[in-house]
Amino acid sequence: MKGGGSARALRRLLLVLVGVLYALSIPWYRRGGDPAELWLGLPDWVTVALLCYAGAALLNALAWLLTEVPDDVPPEESSR
Amino acid sequence: MTEFGRLGLVGLAFYLLGLVALAFVARRARGSDSPTDHFLAGRELGVFVLFLTLYATAYSGNSLLGYPGEAYRRGFSWIMATGFMLSIIVAFHMLIPRLRPIAVRHRFVTPGDWVRYRFRGEPGGRLLLFGVSMLMTIALANFLFAQLKAMGELSTEVTGGVVSYEMGIALLAAMILFYETLGGMRAVAWTDAAQGILMMVGLAALAAWLLGEASGLAALSQQILAVRPEIGRVPDTVERTNWLSSIVLLGLASTVYPQAIQRVYAARDGRALKRSLAWMSFMPLTTTLVVTLIGLAAIPRYADLGEVAADRVMPLLLGQWASTGPVFAGAAVLVFLGALAAIMSTADSCLLSLGSSLAEDLFGRPRDAPSTTAFAKRAAGAVMIGMAVVAMAARDVTLWGLIELKMELLIQCVPAFLGSRWAVQLRWQARWPE
Repeated sequence: MKGGGSARALRRLLLVLVGVLYALSIPWYRRGGDPAELWLGLPDWVTVALLCYAGAALLNALAWLLTEVPDDVPPEESSR
Repeated sequence: MTEFGRLGLVGLAFYLLGLVALAFVARRARGSDSPTDHFLAGRELGVFVLFLTLYATAYSGNSLLGYPGEAYRRGFSWIMATGFMLSIIVAFHMLIPRLRPIAVRHRFVTPGDWVRYRFRGEPGGRLLLFGVSMLMTIALANFLFAQLKAMGELSTEVTGGVVSYEMGIALLAAMILFYETLGGMRAVAWTDAAQGILMMVGLAALAAWLLGEASGLAALSQQILAVRPEIGRVPDTVERTNWLSSIVLLGLASTVYPQAIQRVYAARDGRALKRSLAWMSFMPLTTTLVVTLIGLAAIPRYADLGEVAADRVMPLLLGQWASTGPVFAGAAVLVFLGALAAIMSTADSCLLSLGSSLAEDLFGRPRDAPSTTAFAKRAAGAVMIGMAVVAMAARDVTLWGLIELKMELLIQCVPAFLGSRWAVQLRWQARWPE
């Protein structure tokens, strides 16, 4: 039961981090119209977005592995 | 006929024969003629097939032709597509853990079953189900139209023009109807698995060729920026807002894709489902990112493609690849078939969902009667023929335009699936007090 609780807490944390990475992926931190500087072969703001999405993919995959997807539910819990 | 056209024709013939064989095997494996067996493969899809069928269904003609076209039009900011394709798998956290156990307990078959369950006995519940089912049916028909258009474009390219756009649509639509009617979800899932593998391998090979030709990613970026320097600039506030709203809205709207919801029902168990979704998290990086790079790589090669013609950048690049030698022509045919396979796998899934929704949610046919399966097959066939005629007549629309329309329809269904039941109920009562 305790293990289930910590897995749920970790899952929630992972999903919050995914949200943070999504927020960082959009170049709010740069002034619109600034010229591109290449970093790792792409414009820097594109590389940042890509790294954020790679991180989000990994964390989201871990969150799915921690998710409980039961195959049945007690009648009293089958809320609409 | 060119060498490429000859190879393409032979490859297409072998691929279609393979699909026929698979459909017959799926037919022999069926348990009964019930809707559960036909539409959900008896709820027995394991991790491997479930993952590949989710993958092949999610990445369609829109992804393989529409996204490179949009990357060509918009430039580097189309990296947002990788983000919004991932946001679908993130947004599923809001729906699937709640939906799956109830779907198993109540033996759901259609997406409308969830709405029916949530709003049973509520005032306006039936009207809500009808409205949601209508929106989903129109969205699926639109989706089918986009796939048929993409199938026509690709089949004429892969055969060097021997198979015309119209003939390609008619031939491939007939093939989908054949194997889907014969083998149901089992045939669709098995063909999806084969199609998913073909698509992944094909895209990786094409991206490797493009990067090799350009002497690496940095050189490719420099070539792109030399032609259109403005697309490397940091996006302005309007573009950034559009980026954010695309992630939120497409993520939410895609969670109610009817064909994805039916795969949630078709999973063997919750463990197989969550593992498949964990794998799906990485697919935007192996697919959407790759097709975005393909669209960007077309910028220095084709300076002035028009709005609609930009959707053809993928076939144009493949044609160019094929012309560099016989080995590359063979590889390009494989990529073409992979793309065609992905498009067909989305079309067949749309058709399966359309049939079941029409029969059960709109026409009120009983859930577990074999006559419902027969009715659904006929209804789906009629829609398929109608959309094939539309696709033949309306060739000059962009795939991205069709995606936007589909998403605008689906986003309106989201509150019924994800929103609080009480909020929907209160809104109803405020508008039509008893």
